[in-house]
Order: sequence, then structure tokens, then C-alpha cells
Amino acid sequence: MTGAILTPGQLRAERWRLRAAGLRSFVRRFASHPAGVVGVVIIIVFGVMAIAPSVLVGPFETPTRPSGLPFAPPSATHVLGADEQGRDVLNLVVHGARISLLVGLLASAITVLLGATVGIVAGFFGGRTDAILMRITDFFLILPTFVLALVLAPIIVDVFGVGTEFFGMRITLIAIILVIGVTSWASTARIIRSQALSVKERAFVDRARVIGAGSGRIMFNHILPNVMSLIVANTVLVIASSILTETTLSFVGLGDPQSPTWGTTLHYAQVTGAPGSGAWWYTAAPGVAIVLVVLAFTLIGNALDDTLNPKLSARK
Amino acid sequence: MAAPVASRRKQALPKGADPDAPLLVVENLATHFSLDGQTVRAVDGVSFTVRDGEALGLAGESGCGKTTTALSLLRLLPSNAKIVSGSVRLFGVDLVKKSERGLRRYRWREISIVFQGAMNALNPVRRIEEQIAEPIEVRLGVDGRSALSRAGELLELVGIPKRRGRAYPHELSGGMRQRAMIAMALACDPALIIGDEPTTALDVMVQAQILELLERLRRELGLSMILITHDLSVIAETCDRVLIMYAGRVAEEGDVGQVFRTPRHPYTQKLLSSFPNIRADRRTLEVIPGYPPDLRNPPAGCRFHPRCAFAMDVCRTVVPPDVTLDDGVRVACHLYPLGSDGTPITAIPADAIAKPPA
Repeated sequence: MTGAILTPGQLRAERWRLRAAGLRSFVRRFASHPAGVVGVVIIIVFGVMAIAPSVLVGPFETPTRPSGLPFAPPSATHVLGADEQGRDVLNLVVHGARISLLVGLLASAITVLLGATVGIVAGFFGGRTDAILMRITDFFLILPTFVLALVLAPIIVDVFGVGTEFFGMRITLIAIILVIGVTSWASTARIIRSQALSVKERAFVDRARVIGAGSGRIMFNHILPNVMSLIVANTVLVIASSILTETTLSFVGLGDPQSPTWGTTLHYAQVTGAPGSGAWWYTAAPGVAIVLVVLAFTLIGNALDDTLNPKLSARK
Repeated sequence: MAAPVASRRKQALPKGADPDAPLLVVENLATHFSLDGQTVRAVDGVSFTVRDGEALGLAGESGCGKTTTALSLLRLLPSNAKIVSGSVRLFGVDLVKKSERGLRRYRWREISIVFQGAMNALNPVRRIEEQIAEPIEVRLGVDGRSALSRAGELLELVGIPKRRGRAYPHELSGGMRQRAMIAMALACDPALIIGDEPTTALDVMVQAQILELLERLRRELGLSMILITHDLSVIAETCDRVLIMYAGRVAEEGDVGQVFRTPRHPYTQKLLSSFPNIRADRRTLEVIPGYPPDLRNPPAGCRFHPRCAFAMDVCRTVVPPDVTLDDGVRVACHLYPLGSDGTPITAIPADAIAKPPA
């Protein structure tokens, strides 16, 4: 055979060099979408809040040790005013970022994992497998997420007991994550299946069969990469909608009263009549935080869709 | 001619293989499709041999069973197709008798395929080198890293810089994609490569380059090849022997020079004269009247008789036997009965036979 012979060391160095080059070109292509960059910046800001809230605004204020007066308007000491118990709203919002983001990420992880697996398997095997999986999917698709969540959340909490903790998360949170995950995978599965149906008819899938690749290998190595851009774009959108669902559940009082999330904060603002009494800062602060995060994920989703699809990027 | 397969190859021959047996012997192969309850006799009793290091061209009109014949060798057929009879012996091992699992050992490792339309046969979102490495990994059980470096060597072999292996299929030109497909076919060092219209849909310059590449690979690696094409000039250029098929049967088979210089079967004559000849009058390109027969209900006797200018009564009822002439050409036509010296039995009007291209 022709070609220069490289020592294993040189080969490894060459591979790393190419990998780094690949990463650089990915970053460069992503950076050409200003909206995506804005999204990343917003997420980084909220990410820092989620990781180290105490460094930014001090420890979480409990109702027993408020730092200000009830419904104090924004001032130099309380930039975003205070709530009905005199707690600093900025403190609440910054401490709420961790739970809100965590719920969004974990719930969408469940959604996408379940949805992509069901979608690819159903689309690839077709026939009876497809029919059975799609009937199950249809069942979950017509279930109204929110109503099911309303019913399931208290049940899950009840089954495990209120005080139970998993990996340091309280059961109420786990319940919300599970409920969102279980109720929203169906549309992802449908989307992925439709794409898998078209991909599996392509000649390269036949070629892979001829080569002797098994079904698992074909699904993982050939179908999955072809639906990846769809999965990524879908994931990011699911994160956004998961955060919204979490907010809504907390807003109607199904959240964890002891974990500060944006939804819980909004819930108390509504319960205590903040909007009516002119305390706009109490509702606006968590509201804007939610809108910003959801917007940021959507912007990133769109930018990633363009960047990850090698065919789209070639046209630019 | 290169050394015989057994000594040339790095891998061992499959179990039960006879190193002295001819590379590929296909006998009386018949593959039928069932379509709406009817049987389509796509391939109906085809026999041929490919010797080690030889290139056989498979020619004929669309739908005459060229591709079905080739895909039957490895049973890569749609679910409604079935091999109803015959044998396919590779190194003396009958592949028709092999179970699906047993046949896997032969797919790609012993017989690989260069597909038509490389763009569709390549996964658009995976790098070329990964795709070439795939058969090496799956079939030969080589680890990922070694498979990738072998893929690099294969790319260099077909004239693509190793570095381009990082590219995605859409980043390569049509010719380079076809080269990559050839590299993939070579991946497991197979005994036989089937080229299914490997140069169709490429422009003439690139076609020439690909044919040159195949030619070079045959010389260097001693490849054996079956080339399926309806472009007779491609066969004339690259193949040692040619097999002309008509309606699922072999019409004529023999040395490329012999068959093209003195075509015996009226179908071969017509096929050759319907190709533009650089030295002949360009306005009088011949056509074969009529259409290939409906294979659900093929004509009795010789399947070509409804379109044949020399059709006799016997042609309508009796299937012509395969007759091997003195010069090694095998022809199935009643004009050449058993023991024929290669001249047709009845006097044929001189103006009826088209002049074959030189």
C-alpha cells in the first residue's frame, strides 16, 4: 500500500490536531449566528447564577430572616425590591435559577432519550413494532401534559413520601421532572420516527446491511447521525418548554414550597396579590428570567440546527 | 497474471474452500420475483464462470437481469425475490445452499460491490474514512483505530489524499465519491468485486479516470471483477470476457475481442450495431424493433424470436441450447446447432447483418 507510514504516536498527535481543528471550525460556524451567540451568553449568565448563587447575592433568604420591608420597591439595597415578607427579590430569582434550569435539563433529557429511542426503533423496524410503539405514542400524545402533570405530581409525591430525597433532590422536584419527561416524549418520538422512516430507505442503509452491519449498528451509526440535527434542535426546544411547564406547575401550587424556583416565586406573588398592589417588580423579575432563558434556548436551538447539519453549513 | 488468490491474500480462504477450484462458477441460476401473485422470471437459467484475475462484463438492455444476476450471487435480493434453482460456487463452496448467517461470512469479505450512484450509497453525515473503515471493523473485527488507518491507506490507493478522508460525501466530487466507493469495496481484500454500473452518471472524463483506476487496481492487486453496464464501450475497454444477457438468459458469452468482432447471436449483432461507430455513417444508427418481453409471461422457445430478423419455426417452440464454438464463444441460438463451426445454418441475406463496429 502507498501512503506515508506514521508511528502510533504521530498518528495520535495527528488525530488530536484534526479534532481540535474540527472543534475550532464548529465554534467558528456557530459564531457566525449572532442570535446563537446571544443565546449562549444569556445561558452562561444564568448558568453562573445556578452554579454559585451565594457568591453573587449571598445566602438564600428564608422568610424568618428577611433583609427588607414587605413589598419594598426597588432601591439601592434591593435592586429588584422585596416580596411580601421583605425578602430580596433579586436573591430569590438568582437562587431560583438552579432549580429551574436543572428541572428543564433533566426533564428534556428524559424526553429526548425516550422520544429518540422510540422514534428510531419504530421507524427502523416498521411493521408490527412500529404499529405497537406508535399506538403507545399516540396515547401519550393525546394526553394533555398539564392535566396529567396535575394528577401525577401529587401521586408520585405520595407514593415516595414527602420528605424522600434522591441524589440530594427533593421528591417533589423529581416528581415534576418525571411528569414532564413522561408526558412530553411522544411528539419527539413522532418527529424522529418520520425522519427515520425516510432515512432507512436510503441506499447507504442497504449498503451497511451488505457490509454485514446489524440492526443496532445501523440504527446507531447510520440512522442516529442522520436525525441528530433534528434531535438537538428538538432537545433545546424541549428544555424551553420543560422550564415553562415547571413554572406553570409551581405557579398553581404543585411545586416544592421549600425550593425557590421562578414558578414558586410567581405563585407567591400571585397569592399575595402583588400585581394588584403595584408590586410589579415581584412578578416582573422571575417573569423576565423565564422569558430570557426560554428565548436563549430557542436561539441556540436554531443556530445549532444550522451548524450541526453538514449539508446546510456547506451551502453558506 | 498475478499469483493465485490463495497465495496472494493476507486472509485465509473460507472454510471448506478448494484453493484449486475456479474462483466463481454459476450454474443454471434462476431467480424469480413474485409480483401480485404472478411470477417474474428475471433470471432464468444463467451459467457462467469467472476465473481468478479475470474481468467479466455483463451487458444487455435494462431489465434483462444483469443486476439481479449479480445480486443473486450474495442473495442481496428484495424480499419478494427467490433463487429457485442453480448453484453459485465460490472456491467450490455453494453459496445458494448457505444459510443467511453462513452467507454473512462471504458478504463484502469475499464478494463486494461498487454501487451505482455513490452519493446515495454513502451516508451523508458521516466522514468518508469512517464509512470505509466500517466493513473492516464489522467484517474483520479490527479495532476502530487500525480500521481508520487502513481506510487511509485504501484512500491513497484509489488516488484520494488520506487527509480528504475527513471530508463528508457532499464535499467530494462525483468522481472522488466513486473512488471512495471503490476503496470501500476493496476494504476487506475481497476475492471478487461486482461493479454495478460504476461509471453511470459520471461525465466522460471522470468515467475514463474511474475505468483507468479499476484497470490499475486489477493489474496491481490481481482483482477479479464482474462489471455490469449497458455501455458496451466500457466492457470493450476493461473486460476480458463479455456475457450478453437477454430477458433473463445468456445470449452469447466469450472473449471480448471475439464477441465484438464477430457477434454470432442476432441480439448481440443488433446490440452492437445500435451503438454509434466512430467510423460508420452516424445517421444510420440501428434500433432493435419492439420491446424486451414481459417476464411474467415470456415468449416460448427463444425469448428473442419476436424481435429477431432470422426467426425460424423452431425458434418459436424450442429453447435454443448453449453451444460452445471452437473459438470458445458460447451462444444460444438455433442458427448455431450443436457441432456448429460458427457459421449460421441458413443463408442470411447479406444486407440483413449489420456491420459490427471495429
